[in-house]
Amino acid sequence: MKQRGESATAGALAIPAIPASTLRWVLAGLLGAVLLNVHHTALWCLPVALGGAAWRLWAAQHVARLMGRTLRVVVLAILTLAVLLGFRTLNGLDAGASLLVAMAALKLMETRRVRDWLIVIGAALFLLLAACLDAQDLWRAPLYAAELWLLCTALYALGAGAGVPPPTALLRSSARSLLFALPLAVLLFLFFPRLPGSLWAIPREDEAVTGLGEEMSPGSISQLVESRDPALHVRFEGALPPPLQRYWRGPVLHDFDGHTWRRGRAEFGPPAPLEFEGTGYYYEVTLEPNKHHVLIALELPKDVPEELTRVGTTYDYQLIGSQAMNSAVSYRLESFPRHRNVDALEAGARWVDLALPATRNPRSLELAHALRAGAGTDRAYVDAVLDYLRRGGFHYSLAPPRLGANSVDELLFTTREGFCGHYASAFVMLMRAGGIPARVVTGYVGGEWNRFGRYLLVRQSDAHAWSEVWLEGSGWVRVDPTAVVAPERLSSELDDALGAAADGDQRAQESSWFSASVQAWQAMNAWWQDEFIQFNMAKQLNLLGSLGLKNRDWEGLVMLLAAGGTLWLSVLAWRGRDRSTPRPRDALGRAWRALERKLRRSAAPRALHEGPVAYSERVARLRPELAGTLKPLARHYARLRYGPGCSSAQLQRFRRAVQLFTARVKP
Amino acid sequence: MPLTLQSRRIYILPTRPGLVAAALLFLMLLAGLNYNNSLALLLCFMLCGVVLVSMHECHRMLSGVRLISARAEAAFAQRAGELLLGFENDAPRARRGLRLRVPEVAPQSFDLPAHSSYVARVGYQALQRGRQRIDRLQLSSDAPLGLFRAWTWLHLPLEALIYPLPVALQPLPAPTSEPRTSDRARRLQGDEEWAWLRPFQDSDPPRSVAWKAYARGAPLLVAQYDAPTGAHRVLSLRSLRALALERALSQLAEWVLECERQGESYALELPGRSVSAGRGLAHRCACLEALALYEP
Repeated sequence: MKQRGESATAGALAIPAIPASTLRWVLAGLLGAVLLNVHHTALWCLPVALGGAAWRLWAAQHVARLMGRTLRVVVLAILTLAVLLGFRTLNGLDAGASLLVAMAALKLMETRRVRDWLIVIGAALFLLLAACLDAQDLWRAPLYAAELWLLCTALYALGAGAGVPPPTALLRSSARSLLFALPLAVLLFLFFPRLPGSLWAIPREDEAVTGLGEEMSPGSISQLVESRDPALHVRFEGALPPPLQRYWRGPVLHDFDGHTWRRGRAEFGPPAPLEFEGTGYYYEVTLEPNKHHVLIALELPKDVPEELTRVGTTYDYQLIGSQAMNSAVSYRLESFPRHRNVDALEAGARWVDLALPATRNPRSLELAHALRAGAGTDRAYVDAVLDYLRRGGFHYSLAPPRLGANSVDELLFTTREGFCGHYASAFVMLMRAGGIPARVVTGYVGGEWNRFGRYLLVRQSDAHAWSEVWLEGSGWVRVDPTAVVAPERLSSELDDALGAAADGDQRAQESSWFSASVQAWQAMNAWWQDEFIQFNMAKQLNLLGSLGLKNRDWEGLVMLLAAGGTLWLSVLAWRGRDRSTPRPRDALGRAWRALERKLRRSAAPRALHEGPVAYSERVARLRPELAGTLKPLARHYARLRYGPGCSSAQLQRFRRAVQLFTARVKP
Repeated sequence: MPLTLQSRRIYILPTRPGLVAAALLFLMLLAGLNYNNSLALLLCFMLCGVVLVSMHECHRMLSGVRLISARAEAAFAQRAGELLLGFENDAPRARRGLRLRVPEVAPQSFDLPAHSSYVARVGYQALQRGRQRIDRLQLSSDAPLGLFRAWTWLHLPLEALIYPLPVALQPLPAPTSEPRTSDRARRLQGDEEWAWLRPFQDSDPPRSVAWKAYARGAPLLVAQYDAPTGAHRVLSLRSLRALALERALSQLAEWVLECERQGESYALELPGRSVSAGRGLAHRCACLEALALYEP
């Protein structure tokens, strides 16, 4: 038995090892790629990869046996099972990346040849790709670049075989190669024809994205209050709408059970025609990923965006996309804050927006009937309710007490404090009780002007809820009860009420340099999102147009690609050409070189061993007529070069003399 | 002779890992295009760029390398011979992963750092007695990443002398007269009998070096003796008439080597060509060459 053990050890010793430094480069590259994926892969991925790398490092210095085939298969099966259990699929990006980590870690247990190590680097590159597909934040971009550099260096180390250059030389050669690659990459990025849609879709796991909800329960504090993440940013062409008209319309809620508002599933034909008045505003929205289908638009958009396919307008003027916005989208719209319904309200829609649970909120119903009896017209009733909210001693608070099943009753008669959702809910309920069709609209209000990026940033914390009421003669009219309760808090309502925890942050934001740098960072982020991440076929073709190309289609792209690619290759060849003698580093040497160039047709080039004076004498023998000027010039040069020194005036004189010198035969 | 490798004579193709890399890049491209993911596409395009740059660098590993010398060492028939090719790199960049190969023989790998030269020794298979032309030599490189392999064919006027394969069939013929005190013994007595000294060459056996002179500060010198005039063996083709010609020549070659091993002097007699008695490397070469080129 002992003998067998020894022979196995001897076999293990015979593993052809790559140099230790190469091993470290490859392992560092793999671990870097695993780290970049750590946020979306399975929890065990990092430990498994670390374990594999540590074992491999240990095995490089000790006598170790590579893992046997059976054991590898078993471990791979276990890890695959772990992925399956964790993600319930092997197909998604997260599951796929986890599986890739598992396989790369296992590959470390059996790598023998250079080919195997290439596979490990390939796996690391694919992990980097997975990270790119999963997260595209600006702050991650330098990390991705560093990882690419690391992996390239590992490739160069592997390619060098046994004689691995020192780390700095390796890093320099890979950086050089990446620098040369960059222009080509930019060219391909800009002009490689993109696809209008996708070939296939990987199902993405549902993530808890903060934002507007599908429903609204004023009884509990909404999550989106706490988030200062950007929700959308908007670039205007031309004027901005006045602050009081910056209502960004999102999901519309119709169904009320006394406590929770929900989006109705009912659909009542195409949107009723509108008459737009006043000025329209052209703008481009970039919407951050969220989990519902509604495109946020300034109230109210005239058309559906052209850039997006399968977007429609519902009867309550929501822009609905065909799928949830898993990635950021941008679209252009024209909106008119002033608008009027032309036709009467459709009966079904009227019924939906008048419905109330009969048994809930009895005291509010009573209040509504009393106010309604005192008001003559619908408009007077709206004013009466608003007046009631204004004078009723209501407070604005982001941390109101929890409300029960009769949420409106409790708000109006007991707690008297709440935020936008509470007041919108109460107002719409009172409107419906008074016979006026009304609905809750959620969305965002306001926005922060970024002077660096010249765009309006709307945050998740700008989320807002207001109401729309149907007034005969005008159609749907926006009424924001929160503006009545807490007028000063309308635009930045959530900011002020975030509570003590955010107070310090708030004050810090007021100091100018801090807010300036925050804005600059946001502007960079917005540029990154709009111009880089969102770069697509439409923008590509626009770019062609702005370059003045007539055929704005894939033919134009291919033409540009071919031209640019040729240019790149020739620059590469030109940069890499072999110079017979290195270019002189100082001005004096260059001036002398210029003289030699002028003589290149007269005589064979100066040999390496030939001094300037000897050279001039040789040329003078061939071209006696030049002797008179050439010999003094050469002696002058030798004096400047090998003499005590060369002042700048002397250099100038010499240069001038070389300029005047001509080897041409004068007629 | 200085032969500079020209770009247009250098061929380049992807290696198998290079083809796999191309397939993987295509997959990456598909993924990036499908999700219209800018970062993934940029990553893919950067890698494409790196691969293309590596192709260019691979090509440049060879272009401009200079072949400054080429020599084929003589070899015995059916044995392995050696070619000595001197390469020079006067560019400021290193040439890595160079491989010199004669078809069907194991290649020789070497690097040429910036501004350096190197004599590469590569084996060749000696076939039969006589002169053997070595037509094609391949110089290739798969540096820097191993994804591409560039190669060029060196067509040289390289001719190797192939000696007959030594075969021992019969004992050495008797010497013409009694040998004197062996040269070796004489050499041990002192330096007064040295005829002259000449500079050391690679082919000289270390024991022939004049170490005493070296110890006195002289460069490495080799003691050269007068050719002994007295006893020697005559290696004659005529004495081997019983054997077929090639076998007889093989036997003669073996005898030459045997005499050299024993430090005896010998003469070679072939019809129409004879080498007078002597000893030492030059003599051995002359005899073997006569055997190699003998034509009845």
